[in-house]
Amino acid sequence: MASATVLSVRQDPPFLEWKKGIAQQRVKLAALAIGLIALVALTSWRCEVHLATFIAGIDKGLPLAGMFFPPEWSGLVGMLQPLGVTAVMAMAATILGMCLSLPCALAASSNLAPPPLRLAMRAFIALERGLPEIVQMLLLIAIFGLGVIPGLVALSFSSIGMLAKLLADGIEEIEPQMLEAVAATGATRWQVIRYAVVPQILPALFANGLFRFEFNVRAGVILGAVGAGGIGFIMSTAMRTMDYQKACMATLLTLALVFSTERVSDFFRARILGGGMLK
Amino acid sequence: MSLEVPASALPSRKFRLTILYLLGTIASMSLLFWYLGVNPSSFWVDFRFIVDLAQQMLPPHMSLLWANFWTKDSVILSLIETLSMAFLATVCGGAIALFLAFFAATNTTPHPLVRLAVRTLLVMTRSVPHLIVILVLLVAVGIGPFAGVLTLTFASVGMYGKFFADSIEQADKSMMESVESVGSTRMQTIRFAVLPQVMPSFVANLFYAFDHNLRAAIPLGVFGGGGIGFQLEFAHGLLHYKDVIAYTILIVVLITGMERISDWVRRSIITQPQLIAK
Repeated sequence: MASATVLSVRQDPPFLEWKKGIAQQRVKLAALAIGLIALVALTSWRCEVHLATFIAGIDKGLPLAGMFFPPEWSGLVGMLQPLGVTAVMAMAATILGMCLSLPCALAASSNLAPPPLRLAMRAFIALERGLPEIVQMLLLIAIFGLGVIPGLVALSFSSIGMLAKLLADGIEEIEPQMLEAVAATGATRWQVIRYAVVPQILPALFANGLFRFEFNVRAGVILGAVGAGGIGFIMSTAMRTMDYQKACMATLLTLALVFSTERVSDFFRARILGGGMLK
Repeated sequence: MSLEVPASALPSRKFRLTILYLLGTIASMSLLFWYLGVNPSSFWVDFRFIVDLAQQMLPPHMSLLWANFWTKDSVILSLIETLSMAFLATVCGGAIALFLAFFAATNTTPHPLVRLAVRTLLVMTRSVPHLIVILVLLVAVGIGPFAGVLTLTFASVGMYGKFFADSIEQADKSMMESVESVGSTRMQTIRFAVLPQVMPSFVANLFYAFDHNLRAAIPLGVFGGGGIGFQLEFAHGLLHYKDVIAYTILIVVLITGMERISDWVRRSIITQPQLIAK
């Protein structure tokens, strides 16, 4: 009798349906896997990925790694100034970007700005986000020439792109009752912005600004290599002239800079988001 | 008779603070500019110069798009190359990150020491700027998209390994216990209790990683990593500004378009976890 019930469960419509579902899912997964493998094969052919190159690269890379050591400690003092240039460029660009992103965000939010202005500003922000810093840098070199200024402008512009988008999205999420409550006391548009909008987005501005600072330091190293100066320039020239020990010293300093900006930005961000500051 | 000014006539405390903050910002900016040796007036460029440059840049050479379509330098192919670099790096980096994440999460690691080692490795790979990695790899594997793919893979592993490990650590414990209680091995626990929980966020984040890698692929191309960035740098080096603007437009369209697509896919995955979960 008991075995009969077990048999009947095996023939149960819900059980059969479940089994069919599983089978269908397996077919789907297999199709997905085959598609993925085909795509990987196609793209690796396009990118000239060869295992042989990789293995040869390891063979070539290990002696190369040996040439990096010991780092050229005597170059340390001379590299502190370019390191400072990279750090300060990132910092100045972050501050500029933060200052400029506030008006841009106000103009790009649907609950504050008239539609034409909002659309124009959103398009500007989307353009800034779609343009990698390095492309902006290459265009700005044509205008300003080599040096810190094109790097500074490129980093500030792309900081605006990121910060203004995040802030504008934040402003649009502010409850309309809050704006109405301030407006009901007879506040002008500017007073509404000053007392209902700015206090709410200021912590987000600072937290995201710190995050952006971290990003700007890394991007600043790359921009340095294409002509903005700083430690990135030292590193790329050292690699090009095959002065590997100097490159190693520059690498160590860059790592130290990146690590410490990460720590500093994490520390302040935790305090801002935890409500310790700006309250 | 005192000459004290009544408090109501003074500016409010809040106003004074605002002024103080403004002055502080201006002072720190001028200090930073002074350190960089930047004179703010050098931001001012001669207007005639800009007009001249604009004449050199406009109209962009959009005919590049179909010029020598079937040759190796075709623009379409280099756009595809950039996309392929980002795709390959995301898939390989995601797979390696997923593998390492199980060693780096407290609840699935074989030993706490392994966890510490893997975590340290992930921190290291995350912090190294792309420039260092690509410069070393260009020497090791030569100029070309392969060096770019390896750089992006390296960076993706660091970025997403930590993220995946954190999401594994947050997985529901009771599910793992219930699977263990029917006698599953460690691999079976991971397969049936951990993976289904974390898979949707993995996949969603891989789309984000793809987006990020696509942006990062362009500077790598400029340094010799192949793709559209390489073409851009080439045109810039020859001062062919009409080509540069055409490449710039293509890059903006590519990045914005892919961002839209990946946003859409990510949202549909997160709202429908059953698509991937089971």
